[in-house]
Amino acid sequence: MKIHVYAGLKDYFEPEFEVEGEARNTDELKTLLVAINGKAEAMLSSCRFAVEEGFIDNAYKLKSHDTIVIIPPSSGG
Amino acid sequence: MTPSSSFRPVVEGREAAGVARGLSAEPIDMAGMLAGAHHPGAGAVVLFSGEVRDNNRGRPVSFLEYEAYRPLAEKMIGEILAEAKSRWVLQTAVAQHRTGIVAVGDTAVVVITASAHRGEAYAANRYIIDRIKHEAPIWKCEHYADGTHEWGNNCNCHAVTGDVSKHIYESEG
Repeated sequence: MKIHVYAGLKDYFEPEFEVEGEARNTDELKTLLVAINGKAEAMLSSCRFAVEEGFIDNAYKLKSHDTIVIIPPSSGG
Repeated sequence: MTPSSSFRPVVEGREAAGVARGLSAEPIDMAGMLAGAHHPGAGAVVLFSGEVRDNNRGRPVSFLEYEAYRPLAEKMIGEILAEAKSRWVLQTAVAQHRTGIVAVGDTAVVVITASAHRGEAYAANRYIIDRIKHEAPIWKCEHYADGTHEWGNNCNCHAVTGDVSKHIYESEG
């Protein structure tokens, strides 16, 4: 599945990349991402996730063709 | 002042001719937004302009850089404006947030509300900017005078609420 990250997460990952391995939900995706870069763990714990321009929670079943946007806490204004 | 015929800012998330929906990579036309916000039924117009300070936590700031997940940010700003109009009787509720580099002293976000009386216009305006700051996927990177930069000042409500989707709003404090 494709991953897009923003803001501070770009200090840990490329802005767009693909993850290998299976993740059925956002918790499992976080585990995969922490395996890629463990330094991102704290920030990932405060992030929201979105698919197709809508937020998802851990109950959403991720699909292999999903593009998942990982959204750090907002800091607009 | 009569409403500008050439400018119609975002109202309830609808896109108007010639105006970016909720986000702008160009300097915000605050005067144009205000001109378009007047309404014959509104006795109060409140304009909030969030502007770039030259310092943060004691460090000199050179400029800010804003990034957004545009599709969702625009959608959320539209939803927030619509929700404000459902909570208060507003003749106008518009907002625009910058993306890209914003210089010290320049405007990063504008919210304008208009209502029959000032109480509703003030309350709605504060509600809108609170929710945009806490919820819309927009981020600032502070570029400091010493050449370093930092993504910062994130909403940290989850540390208290235990839920990244639950926030503590100043306007409700």
